[in-house]
Amino acid sequence: MATYITRRLLQMIPILFIVSVLAFLFVHLTPGDPIRIMYGIEIDQETYQQLREREGFNDPLPVQYGRYMSDVLRGDFGVSYRTRANVSAEIGRRFINTFILAGISMVWATIAGLITGIISAVKRNSLLDRFVMTLSVTSISIPSFWLGLLLMQVLAVRLGWLPTSGIGGIRHLIMPAFVLGATVAAIVARFTRSSLLETLGEDYIRTARAKGQVRQKVIFRHALRNALIPVVTMTGLQFGFLIGGAIAIETVFSWPGLGSYLIDGILNRDYPVVQALIMLFSLQFLVVNLLVDITYAYLNPQIRYS
Amino acid sequence: MKKKSVLLALLVLSLVFMMVIGCQDVEEPAADDDESGVDEPVDDVDDEDAEDDSGMIEAGDEIVVALEAEPTSLDPFNSTDGVSTSVQKTMFEGLLKFDENLQIAPFLAESYEYNEDATEIRFVLRENVTFHDGTPLNAEVVKANFDFVLDPDNGLARRSFFNFIEEVEVAGEFEVILHATEANASMASYLAHPTAGMKSLEEINKKIEDPDYNLDRSAIGTGPFKYVEWLDGQHVLVEKNDDYWNQDAMARVENIKFTSVQEASTRVNQLRVGEVHFVDTLPTGDADDLMGAEHVTVFSGPSMNVFYIGMNLQEDKYENEAVRHAMNHAIDKDQLIAQVVDGFGRVADSAIAPPVYGYSPQEVYEYDVDLAKSLMDEGGLAEGFEATLWTRNSTEFTAIAEFVAMQLREIGIEVDVQAYESGTLFDMLDNNDGTDLWIGRWSPGTGEADWGLRPNFASDRVPPNYNNSGFYINEEIDDLLNAALSNPDEAERLELYRQAQEIIYKDAPWVFLHVVDAVAAQRAEVGGIYIMQDGSVDMNGVHFINQ
Repeated sequence: MATYITRRLLQMIPILFIVSVLAFLFVHLTPGDPIRIMYGIEIDQETYQQLREREGFNDPLPVQYGRYMSDVLRGDFGVSYRTRANVSAEIGRRFINTFILAGISMVWATIAGLITGIISAVKRNSLLDRFVMTLSVTSISIPSFWLGLLLMQVLAVRLGWLPTSGIGGIRHLIMPAFVLGATVAAIVARFTRSSLLETLGEDYIRTARAKGQVRQKVIFRHALRNALIPVVTMTGLQFGFLIGGAIAIETVFSWPGLGSYLIDGILNRDYPVVQALIMLFSLQFLVVNLLVDITYAYLNPQIRYS
Repeated sequence: MKKKSVLLALLVLSLVFMMVIGCQDVEEPAADDDESGVDEPVDDVDDEDAEDDSGMIEAGDEIVVALEAEPTSLDPFNSTDGVSTSVQKTMFEGLLKFDENLQIAPFLAESYEYNEDATEIRFVLRENVTFHDGTPLNAEVVKANFDFVLDPDNGLARRSFFNFIEEVEVAGEFEVILHATEANASMASYLAHPTAGMKSLEEINKKIEDPDYNLDRSAIGTGPFKYVEWLDGQHVLVEKNDDYWNQDAMARVENIKFTSVQEASTRVNQLRVGEVHFVDTLPTGDADDLMGAEHVTVFSGPSMNVFYIGMNLQEDKYENEAVRHAMNHAIDKDQLIAQVVDGFGRVADSAIAPPVYGYSPQEVYEYDVDLAKSLMDEGGLAEGFEATLWTRNSTEFTAIAEFVAMQLREIGIEVDVQAYESGTLFDMLDNNDGTDLWIGRWSPGTGEADWGLRPNFASDRVPPNYNNSGFYINEEIDDLLNAALSNPDEAERLELYRQAQEIIYKDAPWVFLHVVDAVAAQRAEVGGIYIMQDGSVDMNGVHFINQ
């Protein structure tokens, strides 16, 4: 297992290198000029050229890339064009914010999704099943920013129970974590239900029942364990997305995480910020995938890595 | 069996771990945050007995402002946006300032005077002014500031703003003379602009000694508030300066917290609930909504932003003045204002807006399609022509573009609207990449006519040099602008600017559209906030009304 993990980790290096080239090209070839966006038409051509020189935009792209990478390899992701803040430090601070939000959303969403999914599968086609499934389709279909604004209007503005937005105490977390988790919970519920239903139709389940095993034991010990494999994959992917920052939710609730950072960065063509975030998100996905694969081995003894 | 329990234990552990992290990290900021004290009463009081108390929120010591974006820099020499200016203004002061009526008033200087031919301006400084780091303000500091911004090696965004300065002369401990490169009677306007805020000599020396020293994120000025912290994506916090030089204008609150809240509807909600006391640049749709809200005051006034359709006068189709007049008559400006900015605006009756120094209203081109058609006929283009209209891709700009395109079609001009990201659009205009028609917006940073007219209409400001992207060449205008700039006599200058505006409006190198209102809203329990016409906010006198 250890060699397997080491090999997987080593494989990440060339992937991240390719990502860095793509990210660099992506931001530099996107139309729009950070200097113009930041300073507008207030500055004249002479100043404009000076500022371009200051940021090194007048060098050929390969030179700029080389300079960027040599800084990155020394752990320096540069300084934001827009706010002059150190990008590495800023990402560190915002990562924690995003991680808290994503973590809490994931925890409640996974628990709620699993429970409702299992109930739905076991009580298939019952009224409860239909209700839960309708709810989950609704939850997947509702745009999250809309749900966020709606909740804010009701819970914060009308009732005054919760603060509208921003970061502060636990109460600031409730609405964004709920909205962010709602979709995930629905997806987990549907996945669990269908996967469990499929497994319940397998021969070995019938055998287990035939030998006299109690129904609950069959469901939880035999069926659920096998049914969980696709659910784990999907949950991992969802977590990968969430940890990349929930762009809409973070913007609506002014949550200072990676998602709102990315949006600010893209809008302002803040190259160092966007490049660093793309690399980070890629790395996160690679790591999450690795964790998912490792979890497989625990769930299914047939899966072995060497 | 064993593995399963390991997995379970891991899962439980990670849950607990997340919870713990969640609680810790989130609680921390709240601990040193006075706001938590403000939060609580709102919950309990809001619904039951808030109405009988004018100060629904317990009058705290902190004013919270929601801005539409983060500042780009705390250095007045290195930023051009209104958000940065609003924040900087609490900490930095210049030799002169614009008062609420946009009149120039002495500030760190006690008095100022031009010499006879407006090539010099002499300042006598106040003697009791100290910076936040305790160092005094004197003539040497003023010189160091201007020398610093003018040095091209420092690469500051506002360097060209101060290009008119030839040399700064220290004439005494508290006396400074600015020598201009050429006669310039607008110098005082430039120096009253918030960009000309003075920073302490120690700051400048720190930057000179260590090029990595970050002036964008430090602020040592003379203002009534001092810099505390800037948390990215969250807030910039300033606190009361107890040693402020002007005892009559001491800050009346302990802190101001400038938060950045990108989503407009979130800003509106925060104001409704009372989490923030002031919201800047309100979308006009929301302003309508907020009008009736309790404890909220909405205010609006003309801004300095003029919207126009620029046209490339090198194109044959715009050569005839009658065609340009036809296009001006073809647009229903009142409907445009009603539709695009919910009525928060007025028809542009000059190339500059009413609050700009030197503004002189002209007779508006009334909406008249028949007249417009006959003018097209007169210009020899009765059958119309095709045109490309460039616009920025923001909602407001594209709405304007679609509207005018529709109306121009009425007189036979087939307009193809093309939307670009603003940086791209500026580049295309600067390089004249096939410029035809474009939607423009201009606001003179200095609040006076020279910056309102020169960049857009002077012959030497054609691409790539500046903003005269339509190649409007008129020697008469050049002469009038130069004469006004070198004439320190106020009445004579105003007359010269009046003449220039009259000629430009008649020549119609633009289709003059509208001047938008600046719209902002505040809680009823605070007072003393002014929106300056350049769009920045003056919060130095902010206070809670029942205090």
